[in-house]
Amino acid sequence: MNELTIAMPKGRIFEEAYQMFIDAGFDLPSEIDDSRKLIVEAPNERIQFILAKPMDVPVYVEHGVADIGIAGKDVLLEQHRDVHELLDLHISNCYIATAGLPNTQMDDIAPRVATKYPTIATNFYKEKGEQVEIIELNGSIELAPMIGLADRIVDIVSTGQTLKENGLVEYEKIVDISSRLIVNPVSYRVKNERIRQFVAQLKNGMNKR
Amino acid sequence: MSKIQMFEKPLGMRDSFPKVFEQKEYIRSTARDFIRNKGYDFIKTPSVEYFETIGKASAIDESSLFKLVDNQGEMLVLRPDMTTPIARIAASKLLKEKNPLRLAYFANVFRAQQQEGGRPAEFEQLGLELIGDFSAYGDSEIVNAAAELLKALGVESFRITIGHAGILTAILENNTNNQEQVSALRQLLVEKNFVGFEEMLEELQLTEEQKGQLTRMVESSIEASPLQNFRTFLTDEQQVLLDHVETLQKLLNVQLSDPLLISFDFTLASHMSYYTGMLFEIHAAGSGFPIGSGGRYDELFRLFDEEVGATGFGIRVDRLLEVLPDKTVKEKHTLILFEEGFYQKSNELAEERRSKSERVTLQYAASVLDLDVFKQNFDEVIMVSEGGSLT
Repeated sequence: MNELTIAMPKGRIFEEAYQMFIDAGFDLPSEIDDSRKLIVEAPNERIQFILAKPMDVPVYVEHGVADIGIAGKDVLLEQHRDVHELLDLHISNCYIATAGLPNTQMDDIAPRVATKYPTIATNFYKEKGEQVEIIELNGSIELAPMIGLADRIVDIVSTGQTLKENGLVEYEKIVDISSRLIVNPVSYRVKNERIRQFVAQLKNGMNKR
Repeated sequence: MSKIQMFEKPLGMRDSFPKVFEQKEYIRSTARDFIRNKGYDFIKTPSVEYFETIGKASAIDESSLFKLVDNQGEMLVLRPDMTTPIARIAASKLLKEKNPLRLAYFANVFRAQQQEGGRPAEFEQLGLELIGDFSAYGDSEIVNAAAELLKALGVESFRITIGHAGILTAILENNTNNQEQVSALRQLLVEKNFVGFEEMLEELQLTEEQKGQLTRMVESSIEASPLQNFRTFLTDEQQVLLDHVETLQKLLNVQLSDPLLISFDFTLASHMSYYTGMLFEIHAAGSGFPIGSGGRYDELFRLFDEEVGATGFGIRVDRLLEVLPDKTVKEKHTLILFEEGFYQKSNELAEERRSKSERVTLQYAASVLDLDVFKQNFDEVIMVSEGGSLT
């Protein structure tokens, strides 16, 4: 049996997905310390987990250093990596939306949008036929309208709590997001048997949930 | 943009240092012998072509083309692929002399990279084109040649996945209501976005039966069901497409030493819009990206006003290098260092060794700044000086 390498995003999604694997009947070590380790072995299943930043998972998978990965649809939309998207895991569900201060219009002359997702934001406004200036930020996006940096933000919304606490309202929903199982195109062919079994078992486990 | 530094090359351009150069030469000469034995003739085409003809006919996205303007004001492109220039030559000249035509190339092509500028924008491709044959024998010859060539080069673990553009289009058209839906679904298959495909089925408001058929088609393909099972997705007139693929499978089973190298997957779709019949991708363990692809592209010749069958494949040499063990033979390299007054003697010694096809470098010792470091590049060092020849 070939060894499988799986790139996982650190943090909450890792725990959820890992539990999902265990529920699907994979024989994985029950206790793992994911605080500092970057590589975790599951010798009984001949699986190796790589723990990565969520944004980096598609990079590992595209280059084939990981056969499989778990990545948010937001990251996949943003980066356009050459990977196969095989399965919607239906975990960490949320969506991307535009938001801003209540009852405001976009500036007519120089509309500005702050976001962590410049590609998604650009495509969204392009499709709407509006030319906007995109300002890329790495976090605390909600600040931007509050301090007058931008008219709108494009960001992930899961409960809407963060928006509310910062006095922002949601304007348009752009796209639904959940975690996806992605596969490297070469692994998909060369380790076809193994990956098919893995996906089938995981799918089976998901249906029982 | 920051100031360009002296060491920088344009985005995506790479140097081939001696070691890589030799590896490429090994691939080239091995492939050349193999391909010529198969009856193919090598040709070379210009690096620069007209945008109006080759640039537009090529299936490479316009944003990936390197464009320039000549002194007549015509827009030119650096050739983005070899298939289109070969189609140009075949249609305008060579097919009139020989039909069917078997051509081969080993050439560099240029594609500007959008993402991560370090990826190669110029790379060598190695490929075959069989022009003037509509039959499954032609398809089989090409797939088989690709498999054998990789083996001859020493690629150990690879798979060839074969699909059929005609069958995929037929199944999509049978189960959708218009061309827009067909292209939306096909695009998702090109991206291998199966999750998106499922979502799109819901979004397009297809009937339960249509959705069921398409879902089953994808599942059967993923599970690699026998070809026979796909008959149910096709109308009576379309069965002939599957006949063609079945013939191809039979021919390949006869020819190939290891039929397991081949698998069929009808969800395989290519961004190359001119593929009309069977198409395939080659994946090898060791590279994260496909190392080659090919297929039947009769459609391309319509652009050149020719009605001929054509099929071929191309392999990316840069990705081949990633998966190939270093096959270059380490040859002995001798250094002869001489001192003032011993030039003639050392020259004679060098020529004598070179005549036995040994690699010999002759060097005036006093010119070398650091002898110890320089000597490390050679297997044997001979010093020709006062005391005679010292090894």
